[in-house]
Amino acid sequence: MTEPLVPNPAETMASVDTVRAALERHRYIGSSRIATVTYLAYQLRKPVLVEGPPGVGKTELAKTAARMLGLPLIRLQCYEGLDEAKALYEWKYGKQLLYIQVLKEQLDDALGGAKGLRQSVERLHEYGDIFFSEEFLEPRPLLKALREAEGSVLLIDEIDKSDEEFESLLLEMLSDYQVTIPEIGTIAASGQPPIVFLTSNNSREVSDALKRRCLHLYIPYPDAALEQQIIQAKVPEITLELRRQLVAFVQALREMDLRKAPAISETIDWARTLLLLHIDALDDGWIRETLNVLLKFQDDVESVEAQLPYLTRRVAGI
Amino acid sequence: MERTLANFVRALRMADVRVSTAETLDAFRAAEMIGWTDRQRFKDALGAVLSKSADEHAAFDACFDQFFHFDDFESGGVTQPLTDEHNDDAPEAAHGTQPSGDAAAPGEGESESQGGGGGNNRDDNGDATEAAASANPPVPTSSRSEAVSDPASPLGRMLMADDRTALSMAISRAARDNQLENIKVFTQQGLYTRRIMDDMGRAELVDEITTLESSSTAPDQRLAGELRQRHDRLRAQIRDHVESQFLLHADAQGERLREDMLRTARLANVSRRNDPLMRRAIERMARQLVAAHSRKRRVTKRGRLDVPRMIRKNMRHDAHMVELAWQSKRIDKPKVFAICDVSGSVALYARFMLMFLYSLKDVLPQVRAFAFCSDLAEVTDLFKQHDLDEAIRRTLAEHGQGSSDYGHALADFERLALSDIDRRTTVLILGDARNNEGNPRTDLLRKIFERSRRVIWLNPEPRVSWDTGDSVMGRYRAHCHQTKECGSLVQLERIVSDLLRAVT
Repeated sequence: MTEPLVPNPAETMASVDTVRAALERHRYIGSSRIATVTYLAYQLRKPVLVEGPPGVGKTELAKTAARMLGLPLIRLQCYEGLDEAKALYEWKYGKQLLYIQVLKEQLDDALGGAKGLRQSVERLHEYGDIFFSEEFLEPRPLLKALREAEGSVLLIDEIDKSDEEFESLLLEMLSDYQVTIPEIGTIAASGQPPIVFLTSNNSREVSDALKRRCLHLYIPYPDAALEQQIIQAKVPEITLELRRQLVAFVQALREMDLRKAPAISETIDWARTLLLLHIDALDDGWIRETLNVLLKFQDDVESVEAQLPYLTRRVAGI
Repeated sequence: MERTLANFVRALRMADVRVSTAETLDAFRAAEMIGWTDRQRFKDALGAVLSKSADEHAAFDACFDQFFHFDDFESGGVTQPLTDEHNDDAPEAAHGTQPSGDAAAPGEGESESQGGGGGNNRDDNGDATEAAASANPPVPTSSRSEAVSDPASPLGRMLMADDRTALSMAISRAARDNQLENIKVFTQQGLYTRRIMDDMGRAELVDEITTLESSSTAPDQRLAGELRQRHDRLRAQIRDHVESQFLLHADAQGERLREDMLRTARLANVSRRNDPLMRRAIERMARQLVAAHSRKRRVTKRGRLDVPRMIRKNMRHDAHMVELAWQSKRIDKPKVFAICDVSGSVALYARFMLMFLYSLKDVLPQVRAFAFCSDLAEVTDLFKQHDLDEAIRRTLAEHGQGSSDYGHALADFERLALSDIDRRTTVLILGDARNNEGNPRTDLLRKIFERSRRVIWLNPEPRVSWDTGDSVMGRYRAHCHQTKECGSLVQLERIVSDLLRAVT
């Protein structure tokens, strides 16, 4: 668990194996696919579109990548109605107004002696667009990510929740790592371009244009062995036997027809819950008590409770 | 390597994975970066670059396995025991038979040796070459090795060397030279097999076999027999290779061709055998329609200010109207009522139309379906409870008997659902309007017409046969916004596309 104090991105990203080791060092256990794609994303400088059911660690991947590279994580949560002003940049209107008020007298001086409108306007022109310069620009996540000299990890979370117009807005950013602000011009990444992760829950099909610009990574539910490793990494205090049991139980649940199958995050929560309650072997009673950690719908809880004896037998029988 | 990858991309496109040129270039870079050594990793990398959805990924997986799979060459049933001293020669021998300087070959070569322990073959082969060359094998095991003298033709030597990797690579090289990836139809397989064999030096080998056979010495005779046997085996291998390549490159193309044919064929003539294909064609059309129509959910009304929103928006500017807000048109969710005649001849069309409508769930969330022959009943629930095929089967089974009576059906519809029809509802009626001389009850259709946004009548018969015999199409026609012919998939697609344009 010893981490280098200053992570060196180039070193961490030297090969697929070092990526995987680094991910594991930061307690992100994933398939080799994940490491391969992360490596490619860094080397090819391409954004990654991460898809998969909720709670399999899509967002976590971006967070871990930021940690292991020692880069700032800039997060943009998408929602319906997200627009340029919130994602890209905004003019600091208040500041502009304030400055104009404060500088009113100075303006008189600056225009001093000017005769007639035409001359005044010409005089003003000498000052250029001072009120629409970078000082009055409020950078939002996308612009902020471009301006990080050392590079950054940009997480565009739940892109499927945003509107289609917003996707189009992203295209320039994702393919060329630059944005265009009408009043100023095109701003390109000042240093290292950011490493971009987009996540999607597939509530809406993301447009082809966007997909084409990204690497595609699908993270499915993990198999039992991988899930055990994940639990071990995340909740190391839990005993081996309980870990095996709870993973087997969750895996059995995923085979059932549920409205929302428990994901890895739920498994981890459950493991923590069991640890907190000092339970060292699963039994019907405790499962019943803690089932709501795993399942988020009352329908699901009821249908699982009905099958509980069968499920526990299966888990014990493995 | 470029060519192998380019061919792979081609195969992917055939398998319905859309790969752009930019993505192909990315794939090259990714392959360079990852290297060809680890098959799984290579696959993951290409998969991330080339496939962009779960569907495409499944297609990619299948395609990758098929493309980068190379039938292990049988070592001819003759296994030679390994001797340690020859292990050192092994790599050298393997390289000796390898085509030199062909950058493309390692693609298949390596993926192949990943699959089935390539090391062993090479050892085998080292042994064999050694045995053949020295003519005095250190470990005389099989009768074959004593008898073997050195064949003169290069192909003969390669065959006797029994180097599976080298042979595989020679085949794939010859296949590439002959542009096997351009194979179009099944009957070309023999031709390509022959060409590849010729390319590998078949003529020389056959000459040699003939010479050897006419020779009087026993070892020569034996060599001839052995060579002939291996020659035949080689041909079988090449045939396999050609066939797998055919499946990869041409089959999808052929399927596309058949699908295109099905799209324009009259639905009544489509045999049930083509059902899966029809399903796929419909799904593909539906996907395209969904993609085209899910894009425009909110339209701004040009030039009309949304004053309340603007005031709210500009509060922070001290109520100076700095930012403008425009009114936008919220599009109501469209409702579609589909009334289908499911009697005998029309049933088939109903099947496809229902299939189509329900494949469009993403853009048409509110479809209600009604089926009738004489009695009309709502079958929406069937489609909610069962999957598409089962629902359609049940619909036809439950409502599909008897002769159609449009008047009766419309009366039923009035009772059941007329009150649910409003200005947002589009009513699709599918039927041939052959009323068996019954009362057409056009007054009821008029009611529907007046309440709904649109009434579209789809008639599977060609327009010329409308109003012939007992068809009362002309009378219904007056009470429909639109009447259309829907004999083939293409027509059906156009209708659904128009429908979507009208409702969304």
